[in-house]
Amino acid sequence: MSQINRRDILKLGALGAAGLGFPAIIRAQSKEIVILGLWDQTGAFADVGPLNDRGMRMALEERGMQILGRPIKYITRDGGTQAGTSTRRAEEAIDGEGARFMIGPWSSGVALAVSEVAKRKKVLHFFSGGTEDISGSRCHRYSFQWAASPYTAAKTVVDNFMKANPKAKRWHLLVADYAFGWSLEKYIKEVGKNHGLEFVGADRHPLGEREFSNYVQKAAANRPDAVAMINFGGDAVAGAREIFNFGLTPKIPLIMCWSSGVEELIQLNPEIRENLWVGTNFYYTADTPVAREFVKNYRAKFGTAPGYAPSAAYSMTRLMLAGFDKAKSAEVQDVIKALEGIEVNDLLGRMRIDPATHQTLRPFFFLRCKPKAQMKDALDLADVIATGDTPLPKEYAACKDIGSF
Amino acid sequence: MLYALMGLGLSLITGILNIPNFAHGALFAVGAYLLVTAVNAIGNFWLALLVAPLGVALLGLAIEYAGIRRLYAAGHDYQLLFTFGLSLIIAEGIILIWGPVGISQLPPPLLRGGVDLGFTFYPKYRLFVMVVAGLLVFLTWLFLEKTRYGAIMRAGIENKEMVSLLGIDIQRLFTVAFALGAYLAGIAGALTAPIRGLSPGMGVDMLGIAFVVVALGGLGNLLGAVAAGLIIGVAQALVAAYWTEASTVVIFAVMAAVLLVRPQGLFGIR
Repeated sequence: MSQINRRDILKLGALGAAGLGFPAIIRAQSKEIVILGLWDQTGAFADVGPLNDRGMRMALEERGMQILGRPIKYITRDGGTQAGTSTRRAEEAIDGEGARFMIGPWSSGVALAVSEVAKRKKVLHFFSGGTEDISGSRCHRYSFQWAASPYTAAKTVVDNFMKANPKAKRWHLLVADYAFGWSLEKYIKEVGKNHGLEFVGADRHPLGEREFSNYVQKAAANRPDAVAMINFGGDAVAGAREIFNFGLTPKIPLIMCWSSGVEELIQLNPEIRENLWVGTNFYYTADTPVAREFVKNYRAKFGTAPGYAPSAAYSMTRLMLAGFDKAKSAEVQDVIKALEGIEVNDLLGRMRIDPATHQTLRPFFFLRCKPKAQMKDALDLADVIATGDTPLPKEYAACKDIGSF
Repeated sequence: MLYALMGLGLSLITGILNIPNFAHGALFAVGAYLLVTAVNAIGNFWLALLVAPLGVALLGLAIEYAGIRRLYAAGHDYQLLFTFGLSLIIAEGIILIWGPVGISQLPPPLLRGGVDLGFTFYPKYRLFVMVVAGLLVFLTWLFLEKTRYGAIMRAGIENKEMVSLLGIDIQRLFTVAFALGAYLAGIAGALTAPIRGLSPGMGVDMLGIAFVVVALGGLGNLLGAVAAGLIIGVAQALVAAYWTEASTVVIFAVMAAVLLVRPQGLFGIR
């Protein structure tokens, strides 16, 4: 039965209006700059995506959602911490929404796949994470790495830990079994040689592991002087808790080599944090004017201190916008050229992007957690005992030629 | 042993109510969160461990009374949608009440640290959990096997029409079974809190395992659930000792292998 009723007429009217209005929308879109935040809302990093979003939004809002006098349209997509979903969502945003600049996602393995999309679609891509391949073996002109090189991290952590604990030479490693874990493990072992470290065990666990008893049992059986974890987020929290439950900490030190800082540490009781040593890309007591201002605003807005996730998103966005300013252009290739070799005094102090590899050269932090009695408030978790910025030595650099556009 | 406890609760619900309870993981999570709240409120871990699962049982009672009761005749699709939707609501509710950031709960001071068993190290708290979970499984078994109401419940699993024809209030039986299942999920959650910590999504992992346990043991088979829980736990621990990376996969590998040989599960008849 075919019968046109009032509802159908209304629908047709709406369609017609949409069709008529369309050219105007396209004209408006050509002026605005679309920036994509590829932040996970589901999957293993579901808890991190909203924090990334906070940081990125803050950096954009500081500029009044404008750059070079043009409005910024900030869109986000949920990649589900999956390579397939993330690449699909990124392509949809590029093709459908006209996004030419993207930041994220949070997982190294997923980001490597997204980086390929950036290369193919000729879109500027900023990323922060532990894989060295983005600024290493799979480097190209479109992707940039914000996090410290895993070598910088390993050197900062091992050198400074050994300075404080010269006798702790037998290490057991717990490593997340994906791109990030493998990169860092390699350099921890490499730097460890200089200190005569013996690695009595190294177990790999899948991303998203929550049952660590078996791993810790093996670690305990090796009777190490220290346990070092190369994992992140929920994995690191679950691992640290289990190591405490087994009675290993605080008797022996535990090192979180690449932590998100505040976000992970507040999930642990002060008792579990005793004798915990932490390497991180950002800690909120970083003493720079930009960091002080950012932390103040973040605390006012969200009632807690920012960890690595919002800070990385914030700083990456600022760096990208600095690229626009320097290039005085919103063309992808102009902004990329401007970012290559850019030097700013920003969130972490002096930061520079190596034009040969697209690696951000910046300090990495090493913390020692405070005992409960010394904490002034709930967020007074740790002291920054050292920072390090030794770049990846040339002989390890896998990015021989970053190529052309 | 915790897997057995989760599986037993889910099996009770699946068996008696004939409902796929996708909210079982969420009830597990609520048990853990209520424990932390109770510990903070009363400052005594042991008392909190008693109170928290009772809270979950009450929640189960409310869920059965307000929602599931209306869906017995509606078929599995609606029941699945309802319980799945409920699990999402509970998970979001947890975020609203307790926040999105994970929480740690320490074991009581008496049970902190590990013991050297000679051949291996083991945390005291885990030994305690093993004993308590074993005891709970035993008590549930006693209740089901040795009490009149337990016998009615088992009869309910076998043949609901017959039970109601005998003049027994089958509706009340359903409510009690759901609350008991919720209690077991809640106490499993409360016991797990110091081991695995708390996060809003903690129920999801456990739900998967609980369903594996139920499927492996045979749908609605209580003894099967206990046996399957133990098998899964032991398999996971053994594999982890020799091939750590495979310790998660083994859960599903065992299930696939058993179901290939015995599609009805280890002890199942259906």
